[in-house]
Amino acid sequence: MKTRRSMLFVPGDNPAMLSTAFVYKPDSVMFDLEDAVSPREKDSARLLVFHALGLPAYKDIERVVRINRLDSEYGLKDLEAAIRGRADVVRLPKTDSADDIHELESHVARLEKECSRPVGETKLIAAIESASGVVNALAIATSSQRMAAIALAGFDYLVDMQTSRSGGSEPELFYARAAIVHAARVAHIDAFDVVYGNVDDEEGFLREVQIAKQLGFNGKSLIHPRQVDLLHRAYAPTQKELDHAQRVIAAADAAHRNGQGVVALDGKMIDPPVVKEAELILSRVYAS
Amino acid sequence: MDKEFQFSVVDPKDSAQEMDAVRALLAANQLELDLHNQVWVVCHVRGRLVACAGLDHNVIKCVAVSKEFRGESLSLRLGSEVIALAAQRGYFHLFLYSPPHNRELFQGWGFYPLVEVSELVVLMENSPIAIKRYYESLQIQKRPGDRIGCMVLNANPFTLGHRFLVETAASECDWLHVFVVKEDASAFSYADRFSLVADGVKDISRLALHEGSDYIISRATFPGYFLKEKETIDRSWAAIDLLLFREYIAPALGITHRYVGTEPLDPVTNNYNADMKYWLEKASSPANSICVVEVPRVSIKGMPISASRVRGFLAQGDLEAIRHLVPKTTLEFLERHYSGVGVAQA
Amino acid sequence: MKIIKQAVAGTLESSDLLVKVEPNDSGLDIVIQSEVVKQFGKQIRAAVAETLAKLDVDRGTVVIEDKGALDYAIRARVQAAVLRGAGSVDVNWGQLS
Repeated sequence: MKTRRSMLFVPGDNPAMLSTAFVYKPDSVMFDLEDAVSPREKDSARLLVFHALGLPAYKDIERVVRINRLDSEYGLKDLEAAIRGRADVVRLPKTDSADDIHELESHVARLEKECSRPVGETKLIAAIESASGVVNALAIATSSQRMAAIALAGFDYLVDMQTSRSGGSEPELFYARAAIVHAARVAHIDAFDVVYGNVDDEEGFLREVQIAKQLGFNGKSLIHPRQVDLLHRAYAPTQKELDHAQRVIAAADAAHRNGQGVVALDGKMIDPPVVKEAELILSRVYAS
Repeated sequence: MDKEFQFSVVDPKDSAQEMDAVRALLAANQLELDLHNQVWVVCHVRGRLVACAGLDHNVIKCVAVSKEFRGESLSLRLGSEVIALAAQRGYFHLFLYSPPHNRELFQGWGFYPLVEVSELVVLMENSPIAIKRYYESLQIQKRPGDRIGCMVLNANPFTLGHRFLVETAASECDWLHVFVVKEDASAFSYADRFSLVADGVKDISRLALHEGSDYIISRATFPGYFLKEKETIDRSWAAIDLLLFREYIAPALGITHRYVGTEPLDPVTNNYNADMKYWLEKASSPANSICVVEVPRVSIKGMPISASRVRGFLAQGDLEAIRHLVPKTTLEFLERHYSGVGVAQA
Repeated sequence: MKIIKQAVAGTLESSDLLVKVEPNDSGLDIVIQSEVVKQFGKQIRAAVAETLAKLDVDRGTVVIEDKGALDYAIRARVQAAVLRGAGSVDVNWGQLS
């Protein structure tokens, strides 16, 4: 099970950041060819990302490439660079329907064949940025075996909804967040919360992280390296939670070794969901 | 993430307020706002102007960075933006004017000094080798002799006045090198002017005709030459063009004498000739001095033959009046292209 | 690939490089400027030469203003400049790896 708490956005046109993002130890790094790159620089950034994907420093970090929309003049070329560069995941912006994923998937499969990668190896993340996307979240999340996660992109979504962020409890994001998390759970994939743009506001960031975590989001899209560590700490289990989780896992392992069908701990039966929860907790152990 | 630096491109015609802020920033850096920049790159932090750079065709001028951001990467980002903007506008071989004390800043931009007018201004270009390659390309065209002449013609168009000048110079020299100003900023295109010169001098022996370049009377070396308002010419610019000539072009070809026609009608050329005598003969320089030879304009019926008069008649469609002012080759060209049609005064 | 027009790629920022290309019929002319030219001049030149060779570029003037770029960035920016200088050509990914 791949741990996905932090997805750090890195502008695809910035060689300094492309080569140093690994230092912050995010779970995933997203090389961005879309919003971070001006039209003038799309071709050059594509090549930077293509080569950056091969840097040994990213050996143990999940490498995601955010391509431009497929109906733009850049999208398919970005996809070529991503697949041939052996990215782990492709993130599709502005996913409005399952068809968007199907279209992407057929191109990905073709490219995997062309560059001799195992077909099915590249995973996908759908970014939901509109009302349509939210309403179709379940269909999108279950549209393909390749789906690794579904992410909510707040800014564009709120523009589409004809509103804006209010700060505080933000009712304007509630439905979208709930829809995305539900879709993720049904599809057994991860859910990512929105980007927090005010990089200087640590408190605000942490408040939002708590909300997202409480709703069940696995992680968050991050736009600044300093957010990585803050997020990892916020998701870290308490010692009590950790101890309990470790005991649950130990009990499950013991039962498995002894060929027993039922897992028991402290005289109580442990259902499979509890074991899953324990695995999740262990995956979020904070390591500096 | 330095999202605090907001770069944008500004058209001076559309943004009076922006230009006021630019003027103030430049003034704080002891620079004047050059009105000839067609476009500007500006940088704002929270709505406040902190850096600017102007672009006039392929020449970068008026670069200023607010004191509080000096020494940071802002200057390099500004440089990157200007270079990218110039590329978008089709300019890749770039020049830059700077106060001498900022040389090092622009070397960080990949610009290398060409000539400096002591304590006043330095002309730089964005290549460590371009001038060297140009020098080498001229060097292989060196001709033997003790008295090697040179003249630079705009020839807009080539007249009998030019012909007389060239004949005179050629007769006095072992070899004469003739350059044609390359900028397409005159009534007649460079291609036409060059071919008229070529046709007009082809029977003169010991003459080598050269294409113009960015390094000899160009927008980069002598912007004042191309201005419409001939009155307000900054004299220091002629020095740049002349020092480049003296320090690179003349040595490459072994030039000993520079020929010019006297120009009673055009104040720009008149001043340029005076500057020529100073910068080529008198000013101190690592390069040898060059003799300036002024040849009086040839006249017809008491009036000097000048290209501007020819253009004047052409604008009126009066080819008959031009007949005595230009050689046959030029007349034939004008008859083919302009009979009955007026041409704009440059 | 043939460089048919002038082009530029990259920036002056730290860890990046500015690459300018232009046509040159007489051959390949590579000029490298770098603050670390003494320590890394050879490596930079090797990376540039290899990248150009893979693109079958044997003619052109390439001027590099290096700001401490890693190999991967050198390859990417040189490729970008050459592709821009070659006009609208289809990318042959085999030549870019």
